[in-house]
Amino acid sequence: MKPILITAGVVLTLIATAVFAFGDLARPKPSATPEAKSVLYSGLTIVTDSKAYDAKLQISEATLKRISEGAAREGGSASLIQNITHSSSRTMMAGLFMFLAVSFAGVWLARSNQRRNAKAIVAVLIVAFICGVGTMMVRANAGPPGYIRWQNLPQSLKDGKPTYGGVEVEIVPGDENMKLIIPLRNK
Amino acid sequence: MPANRTQDACAPNMERAENISVVGWSGARSQISARTFAAIMLASALLSAAFASWIPLQASIITVFLFAGPHNWFELRYFMMRLPVRFGRSRNFFIVAFGGIFALTLAYISLPALYYATLWSGENWTTAMAWWNTALLLWIGMLVLMRGRQTSRRDWSWVVPVAFALCAVNWLRPDLFSLAIVYIHPLVALWFLDRHLRRAKPEWLATYRRCLVLLPLLLAGMLWQLSRTASLADDNGLFWRITQHAGAELLPNVSSHMLVSTHVFLEMLHYGVWIVALPLIGATGAIWKVNSIPVANHGRGFPKLIGGILIFSLFVVTVLWLGFSMNYTATRDIYFTVAIAHVLAEAPFLLRMI
Repeated sequence: MKPILITAGVVLTLIATAVFAFGDLARPKPSATPEAKSVLYSGLTIVTDSKAYDAKLQISEATLKRISEGAAREGGSASLIQNITHSSSRTMMAGLFMFLAVSFAGVWLARSNQRRNAKAIVAVLIVAFICGVGTMMVRANAGPPGYIRWQNLPQSLKDGKPTYGGVEVEIVPGDENMKLIIPLRNK
Repeated sequence: MPANRTQDACAPNMERAENISVVGWSGARSQISARTFAAIMLASALLSAAFASWIPLQASIITVFLFAGPHNWFELRYFMMRLPVRFGRSRNFFIVAFGGIFALTLAYISLPALYYATLWSGENWTTAMAWWNTALLLWIGMLVLMRGRQTSRRDWSWVVPVAFALCAVNWLRPDLFSLAIVYIHPLVALWFLDRHLRRAKPEWLATYRRCLVLLPLLLAGMLWQLSRTASLADDNGLFWRITQHAGAELLPNVSSHMLVSTHVFLEMLHYGVWIVALPLIGATGAIWKVNSIPVANHGRGFPKLIGGILIFSLFVVTVLWLGFSMNYTATRDIYFTVAIAHVLAEAPFLLRMI
């Protein structure tokens, strides 16, 4: 108990020192223009139609409902990844606690020599391994980055073929026309 | 109890405390059989699931109105039954426990109070919530460690990495972590019942655990049935608050009907355990007799103080009912903020039973 309290005290003192050190940093200036608000991530298919007179934007009823719900919510519907990446301080705290968790787990592992504990450790490691492999498989199945799907758009437009890719619906300030931004990279 | 007084003169402090607990356990009496108990439990669970699924908002309003205050009173009485007259070797444990309950409750109440008093804009609400959750986790971790050290047979030092890992998860999504507490807390009552049956009615334990296996099945059935239902119309302040409490804003792609029904069902189980199940097996003693509480009946006990606390608590329950009658929405908000104290109090008393 006592070594744990001492270790925890030292770590907390270090953290407190870091807070004082960072306390002198100037705050970033707030951006003058309001940012675009992401309300939905969905799919988009671009097709050509030689018989149509005007460009059309077709939205399903369900998607429209989700867009309006997303727009009604203040701040939009940020995903888990967005939530994490948009808050660096929270990510740092999570990382710090994860570091402490792994460190203390290591200490506990080194100190425990009972067979029951060894079995529990093996079980945890097996579960972690399965989760890791599962995550890799899921991530591997997630496909390439979004812009890859749009690389063939110019050629598909020439050939009259449809192109499908992901699209993020954003609500931007002002009253300008709708804009479709395609992430094409120079080859 | 006289036997207790005789021992009191010569036995060490800790021994006295343990004797009191034994008196509390063995004093449990009930007139019903295990089969009747199981039938009552199953019928209550099925009825609760049916009402919660059918009319979730109305069921939420009615159950909170009727049972919120009384269940807290029963819980307070139960905790008093488990309180030793002298803390002895457990003194530090109880100091940390009561200190944590007080500090965490105060912090929890202060956040909305400062916001409504316009002294705080609520700008860093999520961060404040994350800090509070961290303090809660570290407090529980500390209590587990202290409890583990009271017996040489236990090595509960694994709780330190687990607590830190949970802190890490909390910092990633504090709002979802808080929502998880809302859903997990009602289930703690079932754990209390399990521990109590283990000591007071071990012959009922197998029946109880068989009934408990049905809970995930019942929950899975509810989720499957309600997952495709339309969200509830939260077009007035009260309905909006109920759906928010169940997490409708945090989980926008999940039917709020399903969320509210699940939460109300779990709350009904929670109230059922504290108001029906535990008193049914005699866990709270004779309700109106202060003498059935060891800390009041003991030679060195505090009968007047315990009696006063119980009477005052009854008065608070009555005030709560009056508040619900006059302004349900505001009273509900205040209740669920202040009620965090009973959520916290469950942790040390549950640990004392493990």
